[in-house]
Amino acid sequence: MPLTRLIIGLSLALAAAPAAGEIAFVTNQNSDELSILDLDKGTEIARLPVEGKPAGVAVGKGAEIYTVSPDSKTIRRFDSRSGEILAEAVLDGGPIGIAYDPASERVFVSDWYNARIWVLEARSLTQISTLTTGSAPAGLEVFGSLLASADRDAHQVSIFDLNDLTLRHQLDVGERPFGLGFAPDGRLFVGNVGSNDVTILDPQQGEILATLPVGERPYGVAFAKGQAFVTNQYENTVSVIDLDSLTVTATFEVGEYPEGIDSTSDESLVVVANWFDNTVSLIDPVSLSVIGEMETGDGPRAFGRFISEGAP
Amino acid sequence: MRIPKIVALLIGLLIPAMALAHGPTRQKVTLTTEVAAAPADVWAAIGDFQDMSWHPAVFASEGAGGNDIDATRVLTLGEAGGPTISEILYKYSAEKMSYSYRITEVDVEVLPVTNYSSHLTVKPGANGGSLIEWRGAFYRGYPNNDPPAHLSDEAAIAAVSGVYQAGLDALAQKFGASN
Repeated sequence: MPLTRLIIGLSLALAAAPAAGEIAFVTNQNSDELSILDLDKGTEIARLPVEGKPAGVAVGKGAEIYTVSPDSKTIRRFDSRSGEILAEAVLDGGPIGIAYDPASERVFVSDWYNARIWVLEARSLTQISTLTTGSAPAGLEVFGSLLASADRDAHQVSIFDLNDLTLRHQLDVGERPFGLGFAPDGRLFVGNVGSNDVTILDPQQGEILATLPVGERPYGVAFAKGQAFVTNQYENTVSVIDLDSLTVTATFEVGEYPEGIDSTSDESLVVVANWFDNTVSLIDPVSLSVIGEMETGDGPRAFGRFISEGAP
Repeated sequence: MRIPKIVALLIGLLIPAMALAHGPTRQKVTLTTEVAAAPADVWAAIGDFQDMSWHPAVFASEGAGGNDIDATRVLTLGEAGGPTISEILYKYSAEKMSYSYRITEVDVEVLPVTNYSSHLTVKPGANGGSLIEWRGAFYRGYPNNDPPAHLSDEAAIAAVSGVYQAGLDALAQKFGASN
């Protein structure tokens, strides 16, 4: 049956290119696939095979998508419309997180085992440089000319300047930061899986602004409608933080073992990947409730920025 | 009879790859089988949390609370006086033909897992048949680094896979393999 589904998925992918609309690209780690979900229509457009237990994901230019398979240590760039692999690179180490920088056409990949970030040319995936981080870097995100890395075992965040690839700040956060995200105003939100809180910091000045307790094992962070949304992996909930008051205003249930989280560009929808349920939860950021659910492959992680506006 | 310790064919396929060198990670096993019987018939046989007689390793089940949330059951394995597993129901939907439960107590020598939760679901299959899906998430039996072999990730995956496969094989036999 998986094979049949795959063939159906592929033929659909070839037949029906996603129109402009919000598309989610969900890495299914256990089933070695990428689910391409049309969020406007509520349908799965395709399920592409991605070998090597993909977890990390980043949307690139247009309909392009990057994936990281830690088992095979492989980074891939896909054309999400044709399903074609446009570039592929094997990185010797422990690749996990990935972020795309549209300004410089580069991608950054964290190396969990070797306390560094690979800097790759975005099209060819050839290596340009490396950046030194603290121990066990995981989540990465680009905002303007800044790159942030959650260095889990160093309990810190590293902030780099992308103009000259230099380290700007290293800041102690909570215990074992894993996922992170920049708010629209540039503040950085870091989920600390060990201390069950979120550190909010000013990445330009290198100052900690606040630390807020959330649920058990905060994993990923996304933003919509003046709020941060944090998945609590062990609690099957999402915590909501108001960006003005920096207080937790709500907590609500999603699926089981929620991990990757992202929002659509118009901020009308927040999407959470539920690793155990094999679903994504669709969240209305105004009513702060789950308004729908879509099926994925086995073991969805979606660790990174995984929603794009689709093909132009 | 104890839970069969089956050498997993699936080792290497099912291990989440992150952070292997950093203590236990949550493991996940999903096994399915397709049978010829209609979903309603299959659900009628396996949809009662208080009756797990369809599983060949289960000798007896005693419980309270029916199919309500927080219902409990204690499974006796193999024979009278055999090892037990205590479980609690945390989701139940007759409409979706799915229930979810957690293990509240088991000896890791019986089933080498901790923090175990599971979903059992019946979905429509091909030609009017059913797809039965059994899914579990758990940690290995040994909480620290460098586990003994019988309490490793691989041992946990093998044991859970063995339990699921034995149950699904019994259902395939009972309801006929898919057309």
